[in-house]
Amino acid sequence: MPAAVKRGALGSGRPVAAAFIFFALVCGAALSLATGGRSDVGLGTLWALIAGQGDEIARLPMATMLDLRLPRAAVAALLGVNLSLAGLILQAVTRNPLASPGILGINQGAALGLVAALAFPGAAGLALDGMAIAGALGAGAVTFAIAGGFSGRIDPVRMVLGGVAVGAFAYGAVRFAYTLEDELARSIVRWTVGDIGDMRWSDARPLALWSLGGGVMTFLLAHRLNMMSLGEVASRGLGADPRWTLLLGAVVATALAGVSVTVAGPIAFVGLVVPHVARALFGGDHRVLVPVSAGLGAALMLCADGLSKLLAAPAEVPVGLVAALIGAPYFLYLTMFSEALE
Amino acid sequence: MNVARVMTVSGALATGLVLASVWSISTGAVSVPWAVIANTLFDLEGPKQDFIVMKSRLPRTVLAVLTGGALALSGAIIQALLRNALASPKVIGINSGAALAVCLAVMAGAGAAWLPLYAFAGGVVAAFIVWLGSLRRRASPARLALIGIAVGFLCDTGVDYILVTAPTYQFSAPLVWMTGSLWSRGWTDVNAVAPLLLPLGALALLISYRLDLIRLGDSPARGLGVNVPLERPLLLLLATALAAVSVAAVGALGFVGLMAPHIARQLVGGDHRGLLPVAMLTGMLLVVLADAAGRALAPPIEVSAGILTALFGAPFFIFILLTNRRGDT
Repeated sequence: MPAAVKRGALGSGRPVAAAFIFFALVCGAALSLATGGRSDVGLGTLWALIAGQGDEIARLPMATMLDLRLPRAAVAALLGVNLSLAGLILQAVTRNPLASPGILGINQGAALGLVAALAFPGAAGLALDGMAIAGALGAGAVTFAIAGGFSGRIDPVRMVLGGVAVGAFAYGAVRFAYTLEDELARSIVRWTVGDIGDMRWSDARPLALWSLGGGVMTFLLAHRLNMMSLGEVASRGLGADPRWTLLLGAVVATALAGVSVTVAGPIAFVGLVVPHVARALFGGDHRVLVPVSAGLGAALMLCADGLSKLLAAPAEVPVGLVAALIGAPYFLYLTMFSEALE
Repeated sequence: MNVARVMTVSGALATGLVLASVWSISTGAVSVPWAVIANTLFDLEGPKQDFIVMKSRLPRTVLAVLTGGALALSGAIIQALLRNALASPKVIGINSGAALAVCLAVMAGAGAAWLPLYAFAGGVVAAFIVWLGSLRRRASPARLALIGIAVGFLCDTGVDYILVTAPTYQFSAPLVWMTGSLWSRGWTDVNAVAPLLLPLGALALLISYRLDLIRLGDSPARGLGVNVPLERPLLLLLATALAAVSVAAVGALGFVGLMAPHIARQLVGGDHRGLLPVAMLTGMLLVVLADAAGRALAPPIEVSAGILTALFGAPFFIFILLTNRRGDT
């Protein structure tokens, strides 16, 4: 993959990267925190809270900021981190520019695992997270098998087509299950497009632990991912067995994607777009790309969250849909012009 | 072409279709005995169920027959023209493009009678984008399917956006079926699409032999008097119209246009004069069965026909992907 040697538009200088990511994060967070149903709650409220003037604001705006806006923004950012890292790993281990949790059917598999856990609470015997991760792993393995991954030569286009079909099947099964559960029928439409409208701190805390653990794991894998982008033969020659890289990467990526799906439903295209932007800006070194993708993913999801409250105000557009509106055109562009698919 | 075989298979499929239609009319939240259906349909003496049979389930079943046949014909033509076993109106983006156009038209306040026209326009635009994308270099069959899927994703996102942000329930309720369902479809919908689908379907059956000529390759076909550069786009337009008009009535019903031609090819072989009618009957049977099964599974809840076609169609797509290593028919 030529991206491995290419230097990005901003070079791979750490200070530039840090400053750029910080700027993007601040902009996204400002957009996400300043918008919402109550127009009297904005960045001023947040500033007053930080500056310790909490007594001077009324209780309701303060509660809105503390208990609604902040946890929601945190969840959006963490989802962005998880999905971007998952996409980064998947693109590296499959060496396929179109790989991402949504395209390979992993998100939909996680959703199916989750629905199975909800439908048969006794039989599963696992936590919801566990079932979602199991579903994600299963879907990923099926897609990988369809692409010919277990028999040697991987066909990149076949991998994507297989993933889309696996995703279509899992998504059909999810809709099937929810159609039969009448009370959930209305909420499922919003859940399947990725809605984080009612997130609280209790949702954000476990997600933060997963993001932290996943981030560290991905960073530890970064060297192996670099080897992988040189090619499987080169990777083996340098002492990193590509099969181990693939297995470890797949487990970390599906865990990150699976946990995100239990919180907000399948959010598509974030995991596809962010690694591409990160590579274009900072080159192909995964030790740089891991923190950069995490930061950019968080910034993108924060912006998407802000937009989701603005686009159809006073109603809200689910954040996953905003992300899809951004990502789907890029996916089309990649399918038409990507050289790596030949 | 083995005429006797085509006749036998068609006869069997037609019998199956009649039985499936009767089942479709009898099943649902209120089940209607077959004797009552006969009484109502043929105006005989005895108990009748005028409202359920005539106003609700008969138009649905008629619509399922019409759209199933149209989608299957469309899929058979597209697979032949593109020489691509993975192609179908859904896979190359026509269904989603048509659905998006219908949603936009409904939001703009268009009348029901004009929806098929908007659907056609949307389908043509989507197919045109896919065609442009595959022009850049000689795209492989799988690459073409991939571009079509991406166009479909884009349009589906637009449909979701319109569904979620629809200002009032009055706007969104009539659009819920865009995801592929025959729920609450009535005679108005039948009247809107039947005058278009019947002549288009008849036309497709009449000119099916041209597909065999085109499949011989460009220069032999020209030797046999086919104007290939003119007829190929015209046939594609015909396929687009068949699929898009169906979408205007039942939403983005996936995988029927993919499955029906493949099943038909297994039954009667690849000669298009036999393949097209058999594929049409197969498609009709599939959609009628999907709609009826969706109502029969857990009454009074209805499972969308689109969900059932996806549950069967997606593994089918994977199967074709795996068995057709080269990706063409």
